[in-house]
Amino acid sequence: MYRYDEFDEAVVRDRVTQFRAQVKRRLEGSLTEEEFTPLRLMNGLYLQLHAYMLRIAVPYGTLSGRQMRQLAMIADKYDRGYGHFTTRQNLQLNWPKLADVPDLLSDLADVEMHCIQTSGNCIRNVTADHFAGVAADEVEDPRPTAELIRQWSTLHPEFSFLPRKFKIAVTGAARDRAAVAVHDIGLRLVRNDGGEIGYKVLVGGGLGRTPMIGKVIREFLPRDELLAFLEAIMRVYNLSGRRDNKYKARIKILVHEIGTDAFIAWVEEEYAKLDGPSVNADPAELARIAAYFAPPAYETLPAVSESFEAAKARDPDFARFAATNLFPHKVPGYTAITVSVKPIGAPPGDATSDQMRVLADLAERYSADELRITHVQNVVLPHVRLDDVPAVWAALVEAGLETPNAGLITDIIACPGMDYCKLATARSIPIAQEIAKRFADVERQALIGELGIKISGCINACGHHHVGAIGILGLDKAGVENYQITLGGDPGEQAALGQRLGPGIDADAVPEAIERIVDTYLEIRADPGEAFIDTVRRVGLDPFKPALQPTEARLEAA
Amino acid sequence: MSANALLDGAVVYYAAGGRWSPHLADALVAVTEAEAAGLETARLAAEAAGAVVEPEIAAVATDDAGRLVPSHVREKIRALGPTVRRDLGPQAAGEHLHVSL
Repeated sequence: MYRYDEFDEAVVRDRVTQFRAQVKRRLEGSLTEEEFTPLRLMNGLYLQLHAYMLRIAVPYGTLSGRQMRQLAMIADKYDRGYGHFTTRQNLQLNWPKLADVPDLLSDLADVEMHCIQTSGNCIRNVTADHFAGVAADEVEDPRPTAELIRQWSTLHPEFSFLPRKFKIAVTGAARDRAAVAVHDIGLRLVRNDGGEIGYKVLVGGGLGRTPMIGKVIREFLPRDELLAFLEAIMRVYNLSGRRDNKYKARIKILVHEIGTDAFIAWVEEEYAKLDGPSVNADPAELARIAAYFAPPAYETLPAVSESFEAAKARDPDFARFAATNLFPHKVPGYTAITVSVKPIGAPPGDATSDQMRVLADLAERYSADELRITHVQNVVLPHVRLDDVPAVWAALVEAGLETPNAGLITDIIACPGMDYCKLATARSIPIAQEIAKRFADVERQALIGELGIKISGCINACGHHHVGAIGILGLDKAGVENYQITLGGDPGEQAALGQRLGPGIDADAVPEAIERIVDTYLEIRADPGEAFIDTVRRVGLDPFKPALQPTEARLEAA
Repeated sequence: MSANALLDGAVVYYAAGGRWSPHLADALVAVTEAEAAGLETARLAAEAAGAVVEPEIAAVATDDAGRLVPSHVREKIRALGPTVRRDLGPQAAGEHLHVSL
């Protein structure tokens, strides 16, 4: 895991000192709210409906046990004993007091954490595959790349005032678990015919009010050229991205308006002008960073664990958990455990400080002291011996973290919605809770199979509804919460945006509509192996449209 | 008119005498157009003074018992706290129980 050097440490500590002075001046009245707002946002501090909200960066979602334990302490000391894991692999606290935030940031700095660039028109926290370094289908661990980009983009003077926020994701695997196609820049580590490792570069993807799938602008960028090429992209965007209209300011609009070919030409022209060697990282520095992500010292173990197999045979609940929440590890005898932060009926992604401490303990004892936050709002223990899974599971059961639903219909992404968020037009969490309760039966969930429901409480799409196999968007219709349903979205390597199924429906009609959509799928799927998304791809939306009709109308029609 | 308190971001309401109260029941209500204009003047003054954050004016109605009820669900949630955490926000103190969602 990456450890701060003296420069990282100094940057973070300096920022705490600066923000402490800024808060003091705001409280004394020498800074107006207008002057203070951009300063607090540069430190991840938002004002929401009921309180301030602090967004803490978890670079590429990787945490140590010590860091998670500190987050739990902070949630208790400065907040209400819980936190919310987000779709950018971050953690949000919902109730910090303004005067406490400098101390809070100082406590974060003690464990090499901060809130820098978690808000504002800058390059945000770089996200990565949560199974980085674990997945067998990986060309290379994406985290050294993500860390390099973090270092390059942190307080980058040229890119601190972009037209709009900027999000980068990196994956090193064939299966895209980082949703790179819906990022401003998506990077896929690939190997060329000569066996060299480089990047496939996508630009101009994004969600929000104008969702777009990213366009490939380089099929293969040699690894050593990454930063200069990124700098060329950023420079084109910084100069030509629109600043006259906030809703048209993301790079996806620029790429869309001038066309992919023209955008490529601009970037290549800029790239040719750049002095690459002065921008690109020294290979020795790349190697230094990569060394921090060296695999833990794995034991040589048999691929099959007798104690694990025996536990599955003995306990059907454990067997169910093992079937859904384990991910195959590239090293024999190991597995990666997805700890679902989606207990049935609870707010998705909310973890209590006690649960965070349990996760910290489990990471230290059983998972090489590593945790990952996923963009699906769950937590991963990435390096667990199969022999240890029964013990880990027992601890998870005790903490209420054993829900066997990873990747299933109740593993729902939901933004905070109008229960917390100032921008929201409708609530998200109660919709997720009601759907989860309706599909609580684990047998039925297993029967339905892989199905991602993603819910956003406004058009900004923090809940990624556009790329949900079933997407739900909450809007305000004449003062009443109203929900639009889309089908066919996919965040992965076959990225696709969902299509609207029909007119919006009321909140209390949503669970029934989802149930009918799922029933339709179960009726028409080609075979039990055909996932929901594949059925939608095969048959289109028409067979699902009656699901939105009111029940009475269906009865009359029958 | 409501705003967020500078110190903790909690929802506060503009009350008689120009003070800010955590209780919706204390909120000064504009009924006539002249009163509405007065409230807007107070909002601009509050924004300029900066003692509270993001003052905004919202519609309210009164129920049969004469209690204030926000017209929009968003304002009801602000008055109560998160609907998914009844133990947090003003609702946790047992206040504003008359605001139903």
